[in-house]
Amino acid sequence: MSIVEEVLEITLRSLAVSGTATLLASTWSVPLAYILAKPGRLRGLIASILEALVGIPTVLLGLALYMLFSRSGVLGFLHLLYTAKAIVVGQAILVTPLITVTACRVLKSARESFEEMALALGADDLQAMAIALRESLPGVASSVVMGFSRAVGELGIALMLGGNIRGATRVLTTAIALSVSMGEYDLALYLGAILVAISVLVSVTVKLLEEVQGP
Amino acid sequence: MAERFEEKHHHVTFEFIAVGTGRALKLAERGDVCAVFVHAPRLEEAYVERGVIVSGRIFAYNYFVIVGPSSDPAGIRGSESAAEAFRRIYRAGEGGRALFVSRGDNSGTHVRELSIWRLAGLDPQGRPWYKEAGQGMAETLVMADEMMAYTLSDISTFLSLKEKGRLTNLEVLYSGGEELINIYSAYVVESCGGAERMYAEEFIEFAAGPEGQEIVASYGEEEFGRPLFSPAASRLQELKALWEKLAGAQG
Repeated sequence: MSIVEEVLEITLRSLAVSGTATLLASTWSVPLAYILAKPGRLRGLIASILEALVGIPTVLLGLALYMLFSRSGVLGFLHLLYTAKAIVVGQAILVTPLITVTACRVLKSARESFEEMALALGADDLQAMAIALRESLPGVASSVVMGFSRAVGELGIALMLGGNIRGATRVLTTAIALSVSMGEYDLALYLGAILVAISVLVSVTVKLLEEVQGP
Repeated sequence: MAERFEEKHHHVTFEFIAVGTGRALKLAERGDVCAVFVHAPRLEEAYVERGVIVSGRIFAYNYFVIVGPSSDPAGIRGSESAAEAFRRIYRAGEGGRALFVSRGDNSGTHVRELSIWRLAGLDPQGRPWYKEAGQGMAETLVMADEMMAYTLSDISTFLSLKEKGRLTNLEVLYSGGEELINIYSAYVVESCGGAERMYAEEFIEFAAGPEGQEIVASYGEEEFGRPLFSPAASRLQELKALWEKLAGAQG
């Protein structure tokens, strides 16, 4: 395999792994954000815990999950360690607080301004929720993009759960770490540029899609 | 060693960066460090030729070990040579009975592993049972332990992880022999100057001198019940010849 083919393979794996992780995380983070968007003491407490977890060190989460997935760990029987699936699970957990917290902000203001009005105009709960979600779609999409950016750029989980195995679990960040450890700084910077370009491209694409859809 | 040296020169402090040989030499090339302690003759030779590092001194040696699951599915115990052991692992790998985890990071250990495959006349790259971890020795050993795989390791990392109870499945299955000798050398970085260079040179002399050699001989004894390195001074001619052989043969 040539170096270009290998870089392409690694890039596609990064996209697939972190994309899947982000979408997976969104399926529970957005509903959770919607629930937390209502005022309430318990909700406020959960929201502030999640806010604190936004910056959790990836290597810490990686280590905790490694202990679970290890042969001698509680979930060892799943044989997930050193697979791409393990990275997906880890990154999905990693980005949950970020997506939830940021989506919650947007949904809160939508609930305040539209939901009450909708309810007052005779909409039922489900219809009111649909309106609030639709009105805050651009903000929620931004949350998901941020989640993706965090997932695709993290190193600790990919390294500890994936193992950076060539042709199997090597992603952009672990490939960068390897290039640096081998003293191949040029390659590391090149891979880094791809990584940043992907994040920017995803973000811009989502913004453009929103504009096409229109308010 | 640095502690002992600093006791003599109160105004000198050393700062160590622990990285693989490949990276260490790259740091030397960039002028970020003043001295390197390395163990990959072929890589060293390339940097010596380019004039990046000078005045090399061999100061210690030990042996790489081939470790694997205690069940030894490839049957490498009692192999006649490291190359023979690798041939057995290859056969077992092709038969779906064994895995091998490679450092895959251009470190001294990785370079040696590749040279043993070459000696065995085999190329495992891309085979499904051959996993290139692209990580440090400790991570690679943990991975091999999890996967019940074989790997090549330096003795000190293996023993220190084993001591901590991190490696429940792995055992040393083959060690010793010329093919597995691991020679440690120290060099001064040519671009380094002034007092820094003077003390770097002096420190390397110290390491290769009688006091340094004594420290080498006993290092690790307390923690592991056996020394991790052998001093080079008494076998210097022999080691130099082996170094030359490794520097050439691994090209």
